[in-house]
Order: sequence, then structure tokens, then C-alpha cells
Amino acid sequence: MSERTLAWLFRLYPAAFRQKYEQDTLQLYRDRMRDERGLLRRLRLTCDLVVDAATGLRLAWRNSYAETSVGTLAGDAIGLPGFHLLQREPLGAGAVVAGCLFSISALVGFGLVMRIPAPVCAARASATLSPIEAVVERLNRVVATPGDGDREARAAVEGGDAQAQTTASAAAHAEKSGEPPLDAQEKGQVVQGVADHLTAHYFDRQKALAAMERLRELEKQGAYAGIVDGRMLAERLTADLRSATGDPHLSVAYSRNSIPNTMPGRPTASALIQYRTVLLEQNCAVEKVERLPGNIGYLKLNSFPDMEVCGPTLRKALAQIGGANGVIFDLRDNTGGFPETVADVAAPLFERPVAWYNPKQTQSATTLTPAPGSKLANKPVYILTSSRTFSGAEQFTYNLKMLKRATVIGETTGGGGHVGVFHRVDEHFGVGIPETKISNPYGMPDWDGVGVEPDVKVKAANALGEAEKLAAKVVGR
Amino acid sequence: MPKRKLDPLPSAAFQILLSLADEQLHGYAIMRQVEEQTNGRMRLGPGTLYSSIQGLLEEGLIEEVEQKAETEDERRRFYRLTSAGRKLARVEAERLADLLRVARAKNILRGDYV
Repeated sequence: MSERTLAWLFRLYPAAFRQKYEQDTLQLYRDRMRDERGLLRRLRLTCDLVVDAATGLRLAWRNSYAETSVGTLAGDAIGLPGFHLLQREPLGAGAVVAGCLFSISALVGFGLVMRIPAPVCAARASATLSPIEAVVERLNRVVATPGDGDREARAAVEGGDAQAQTTASAAAHAEKSGEPPLDAQEKGQVVQGVADHLTAHYFDRQKALAAMERLRELEKQGAYAGIVDGRMLAERLTADLRSATGDPHLSVAYSRNSIPNTMPGRPTASALIQYRTVLLEQNCAVEKVERLPGNIGYLKLNSFPDMEVCGPTLRKALAQIGGANGVIFDLRDNTGGFPETVADVAAPLFERPVAWYNPKQTQSATTLTPAPGSKLANKPVYILTSSRTFSGAEQFTYNLKMLKRATVIGETTGGGGHVGVFHRVDEHFGVGIPETKISNPYGMPDWDGVGVEPDVKVKAANALGEAEKLAAKVVGR
Repeated sequence: MPKRKLDPLPSAAFQILLSLADEQLHGYAIMRQVEEQTNGRMRLGPGTLYSSIQGLLEEGLIEEVEQKAETEDERRRFYRLTSAGRKLARVEAERLADLLRVARAKNILRGDYV
């Protein structure tokens, strides 16, 4: 048998074994070749090697090849204390199972964390959008808050802080402008611009003037001297505006990308057509409308789109659940839309006019006019919410909850804030200013920043089951 | 992990432990020593030899001795018994002695054995 055949036979052995003992094996073979000469002995040697290669195999695969200690000359064989290395054992089954469980729970935990939307963080993040994100945001915005003419201006305000900032950056050019440090002159211009817009548009002129004075004073005192980052300046100005006026709806936004001058202008005809097409393709955000057992109407609505485009679709969906014994509005994936649509969807639920809270209103009090001939006016209503329920969907939920017209089931909603109309200050700064005083007929704070608390708190995924149970109890009586 | 791999102790492993009782040896020397102490009946091939050595190393019954490259051979690995290995060899030998006693009591052995 040649050395090569032996080497080939040893390929059957574990890699760790070969790595450690290949040289020794060949050495042993050479030693025996050297010592055992003559035909008979050579034959015996070959026989030995073949038998050995087969019998050693089982032993070789049973070893773990973990690190073993190398003895020192002062080892314990002589009875003296020596050092022993902790041996690395191969992974036990328990360790593997524990590792798997830990990995899975870490993945699940990460997934859960990623599902929690953080509107405030999102607003901050949007100030430093990458070009690609800006484009994506802009595309999304076409679907979420579209409109024409002055609707567009209001749409920019939908969802408050988050969207005002998003709008600012999303509508911005995709090109990256970098982040040059702010110089004193630009800061002065920004402060001046914010103050000008405030006095021109804020509904309380006295307070606007006082706030303007305060900003100038702070600027003179050098309060903004140390700020070189646009985002920080915007945050600081927002805080100062709010403390000067006591109005939490004022907000200064910074966009890393430049804000086009024509922002509040009319969208192009092709953009409008595209918007309509997309909306109709998505069935106007009506994901599902059906009758559940017990004649409960179920409507999953993911937005409150423009009635001008979606009026027929929405009216048809509402008609489909019109004769139900109870209604479940599934707003778990609803991120808002047009206040007018919110009112139109709520109208069939009432038989007489009710006070209707709308923070985007232009007059001081709004009344909801009921839809004539609705059979839903005294039927139980359930609203399913999640932490993604936002803006217009929160307005819907908040009003029906305050009017005690609906049972809200699910999670606390996202807590979309609402600033006023967005005004461009310069290429990178804008300011959101409420142009009318918001009056809340319920005399208590709304969902701005805190969300709407559900009446029945369950996980969003379980909300439908819970609503069906409650509805069955009420309707079944 | 409990040490079950060498329980019962395979005869090759026991022979290797015995071969190292007096002195530290390298692989080929172990093979020759085993051949000698078994009157030529057991000639360990490299697969069996080094697999057994690896098993004994992993169980801490023998250990590698670090050698300065003093021999003419490039770098042979030498092994020696640990105290655990010595103890195990003794226990195994006692077990065999017990067996032998039983065999003798049953008159299985021919008279000329001890």
C-alpha cells in the first residue's frame, strides 16, 4: 500500500482528526515501512492498515476534537500542583436549544419594537431624510394627503407636526444639499422670517407680537449663537414659540433638502390624474366591506380619501352596511385623510345634528349634519384601533368616543398632532401656524401627542374578535 | 458532560494506558510497546491509535508533553499518563484481576497460569 492510498483512506476521517494527526499517521506509516521489510511483513502491514482504517473510523468520529490541555513538565503526575485549562467541549443539546430560543425571542422582540410607530421620532427623522427616502415620502404623500388648490394647503397640515415636517422634506428636491453649518446671518433671517409669518398668520395677534418680541430678545441675548445645526435650531425655535404663546400647535420645521417655493401651489394635472388613478385602484382605501354573523356590518377603511374622487365608492360601501344591526369600523390601518370625509363617514350614525370637533376647522364651531334616512342612527358602533391609527382616523374615533356613540376597541392610537398651515420661511425652514383658534366642545385635551384611549384595551390583532363578541351580546338581546 | 465514552474501556485504550505506565512515549513507540506487551497480538494501526489517543486526551486520561525539538525527528508528539489515567488503568486492572479470580475459582484456567 502506498502513502497516497493511505492518505486517500484517511479522507473518510473527520477533518479535525486529519488536521491534527495526518503528519503523525504518515510518520507512523513510514516508521513501519522502515522497520518491517520482506514480503510477508509488508503484506501484514497492508492488511493491518486496511483493517485499521475501517475500525478506527468509528472511534475517530466519536471524539469531539475539543481543545485539550498540554501538560507541563511540572504536571500532576509527579504529585505537584499544575495548571489545568478549562476544556472547550462541543455544544451540548441544551446550549443549542437555549441559543435557538434566545435568538427567536430576540427576533420576535425586535419585530415588536419595529411595529411601534413613534410619530415624534418620525418627525425628527424626516428632517434628515436621505434623497431616496424623500422621494418615497413624496410618493406616499400623493396617496395620503392629496388635493387641489387650497385643499393641498390643508392637506399639508393633516396629521400635524409629523406630516407638516414630512411634507416639508418630502416635497423637497431629492438632491442633497449637504449640511453646511448655519451662519449668524441665516439664523437671523430664519428668526425674522418665523416672526413675520407668525404676526401675519397667527389668529391671536397680541400673542404673535409678544412672541416676536421674545424671539428677538432671545436672539439679542445670543441664545441661538451656539447652534450650528438646522434641526436643533428648529427644535429650539419651536420650544421658544410654544413657551412664548402657550400654544403647543406652533411648530418650526427644518428640512435638509430644500423646500420648493411653489409648495402650496396647485399640483399639476398629471399628478392629479395619477392620484385619482391610484386611489381608485386601491378601491378608495376600502379594504373590506362585509356582513359578519349576526348581521353586523364590517368596514375596513384605511384612509379617509377625497370625497370628490371617492364619494361614490365610499357611499356604496356605507350603503352596503346600511341595514346592519351594528357596525364595526376597522381603523387599525387608517392613517387619516380629509376632515370632510371623516364627517361624511360619521354622518349616517346620527339622527340629529351634533357638535363635531375638528381641529382643522375654519369657523369656531362645527356641527355634524346627519345623513337623511339612515338606519344606522341607533345601532351599536364599534371602532377598532391600533397604534397605527392616526390623524383623521383619530378625529373620527375621538368624536364618536366623546359623543358616547361608539365603543373603541384595541390600542391607544398614534397621537398625531395638528399644527396649522405650513409656511415656507426659506430654503430649509418652515413654520406651522394655526390660523384659527381651535375650540374643543368637549372641554378637554384631544389626542394631540397622546392618542385616543380605547374603551376596551386589547391588542390590535385581537380587536376584531373582541368587537364581534361584544356586538353579539348587544345585538343578540 | 458525563464521561461515558470510555466506559467500558476499550482494550486498545487500556493497552495504551498501560504502555504509558512507565514512561512518556510518542505514537509509534506506543504502537511498538503495545505490540510487545501483547506478544504481538495487537498491532495498532494509525487510525485506531490516534483515535484512541484523541479520546484519552479528551477524557483527560493522558496528556501531551511539550517537547523541545531535541530529537532527530522533526516534532513527534509525546504522551504521558495523567493521575486520572493512572487511576483508571488501576481500576481496570483490578476489574480484570477480579475476573481472573472468578475464572480461576471456576477452574477455567489451566493449572500452569498464576
